[in-house]
Amino acid sequence: MFCVIALIVLSILGIFSASNRVLAKEALDCVLRRVTLRPCNTGFDEKMKARILGSVINRSEKVASFLSHYFEVLAWSFFVLLLASGIFAIRGFYLFYTTGSCNGLNSTALCVFDPTGKNNETSVIDEGCRVDQAGRGTELTLKDVDPGGFPVLYSDSPDTIVFIGCFACDYTRKAYPLVRKLADKHQASFTFLEYPVKEKTDLDTRYAYCAYQQDPVKYWDYADALFNAEKVDLDSDQFLITSAESVGLDGERINTCANDPATESNVKAQLQQILYTNFRGTPTVFINGKAMVGPKPYRVYAIMLDGFFYWLK
Amino acid sequence: MKDIHSIREDFPLLATHSSNKPMVYFDTACQSLRPRQVMDAINHYYLEESACGGRSMHHLASAVTRDVDLARGILAKHLNANRKEEIIFTRNTTEGINLVANSLDFKAGDVVLISDKEHNSNLLPWQRLAQKSGVIVKIVPSLPDNTFDLTAYDQLLDEPVKLVSFYYTSNLDGVTIPAEEIIKKAHHQGALVLLDAAQTAPHHKINLKALGVDFLALSGHKMLGPSGMGILYGKYALLEKMEPFLVGGDTVSSTTYTTGEFLPPPAKFEAGLQDYAGILGMGAAVKYLESIGFDTIQKQELLLNEHLTRETQDIEGLHLIGPSNARLRGAIFTFFIDKLDSHRIALMLDQMSNIIVRSGQHCVHSWFHARGITSSVRASLYFYNTLDEADLFVTSLRKIRKVL
Repeated sequence: MFCVIALIVLSILGIFSASNRVLAKEALDCVLRRVTLRPCNTGFDEKMKARILGSVINRSEKVASFLSHYFEVLAWSFFVLLLASGIFAIRGFYLFYTTGSCNGLNSTALCVFDPTGKNNETSVIDEGCRVDQAGRGTELTLKDVDPGGFPVLYSDSPDTIVFIGCFACDYTRKAYPLVRKLADKHQASFTFLEYPVKEKTDLDTRYAYCAYQQDPVKYWDYADALFNAEKVDLDSDQFLITSAESVGLDGERINTCANDPATESNVKAQLQQILYTNFRGTPTVFINGKAMVGPKPYRVYAIMLDGFFYWLK
Repeated sequence: MKDIHSIREDFPLLATHSSNKPMVYFDTACQSLRPRQVMDAINHYYLEESACGGRSMHHLASAVTRDVDLARGILAKHLNANRKEEIIFTRNTTEGINLVANSLDFKAGDVVLISDKEHNSNLLPWQRLAQKSGVIVKIVPSLPDNTFDLTAYDQLLDEPVKLVSFYYTSNLDGVTIPAEEIIKKAHHQGALVLLDAAQTAPHHKINLKALGVDFLALSGHKMLGPSGMGILYGKYALLEKMEPFLVGGDTVSSTTYTTGEFLPPPAKFEAGLQDYAGILGMGAAVKYLESIGFDTIQKQELLLNEHLTRETQDIEGLHLIGPSNARLRGAIFTFFIDKLDSHRIALMLDQMSNIIVRSGQHCVHSWFHARGITSSVRASLYFYNTLDEADLFVTSLRKIRKVL
């Protein structure tokens, strides 16, 4: 059993050192012999055992004695642990590949493949959010949300993508182009729920709302312009008007609309609808009803929409 | 006379460390370390006269021919041979013995006597000869303490014997046979004698004239010389009559398409281009040994072996191979410990204390198989080893015994 553990460990170490590659080769020979029900007569296990004991004995004779007497038991224990950790590692890698986190979708627990947790980062709504948060639960859902009135693309598609984001949120800015690319590629229904998580960005929400009311097609260019703008400019009425005009919208009309109390009321109602999703930060993306929090790699969105072998399609 | 510290300075490997532990080299019976002087002699050939000897006429070739001749002379003088032409350069002891086995005129029914603890090098050539030529190999058993049994030898000499081929000093347990007496008895019965002196030459002064031995083979790599370098001594009259073993370049004075005229010894036994660097190194090794002196060498080895023997006698389950008297085991301390794998002991000595020893059956498989002993650990000592090293060996061995 020791040979199996040694083979795995030495194979990994062998990537970095030639001497370990030689030992890994010996371990492989030993494993092959064991697998074919032959004794491991290469002396490999003896050699490694002696090496280990020889190193330990100078530090502690008691530990060396324990190791010597329970070597096989310890080897088995390590093998089981290795097997278990191997299974968990494979599972973790699979989950990371499919969800962007080793621990499953939206889990913020430590993931070795994403140690900084960048795939789960969000701008949380508690920071600077100035809307009524009543009615929030814990389950991310679209079932209580009325999507009417929100900007939507390819509305006829059976595949649905609902994107909750904020123009000034860095994580939204990272995810938005990826999700849009996916939606465009698959002509999937794409609904954009703009939620101002950042200070003063409710201005953008009203201007964007008015832009959509004015021209549902040009709205998407306007949204792109705001996502591409410097964040500091998003606080400026004048910038929002100029940006609207740059994509062919009537800036003055949008300005008037944005300052209309009725607009504020409508926007507030929409934001309340968004809160019914129980989302906790932006971006939060629902693909066919399944919620993903934080900016995921493109493959995660694609797998969610198209399955594991999305790249074959 | 050099003290032990200045002697050790001549051996660069003794200054090396592994994991901050200085190396303790107890594997001289396999191969000794080399002093700088030997390496300088080897380098001298490669740096200053790297050319063919005995063939070309240019000045480099002349220098090589001269230095090879000088080295042969040094070796002949060192061994007290009658003439330097009795010294044949070989690769090692094994090749020397094979040369005799293949070149001496053996006939079916000829008897070759060997002992029961010969190195494979002095067993297999005779086994093969028995299979190919019908030579009869008879084995002289050792006494219970593994020393040479002269009575058994006498009994076997009662029948005609063609050749007696014994180890001179055993690589298994360091026992040295009473060579002079053995040779006298053999000659009295009309038998020739070949001695495997691989383990003798590094530790004892060999006096060929006094011994009167017919053939003697030794290896350079066990006596400070380069690896791949050995010597076969043969009495000139015998060598003259023997057929060459390997033939080719430099063994003949001339050839036709059908015949060749072989040169006299040693040339007819030294086929092809020789290991000139090795020969020069061998000459330097002998000079170095002589500068130390065999009395000094044996005194230090006995001191160490007695120390090891005394300090390990109470280690539970430890069995010495060979006589308990260290004086009879020369520089060899071979043992096994009940229920402990010898390879593991050797590996642990290496790992924990950087002590280099040999483990296994030391190419004397036949002896181990006959006694049902799996393997052993062999610590082989030399004049460059110290009491501190011997102490470390004992301490480490005690720890291993305690832990395993």
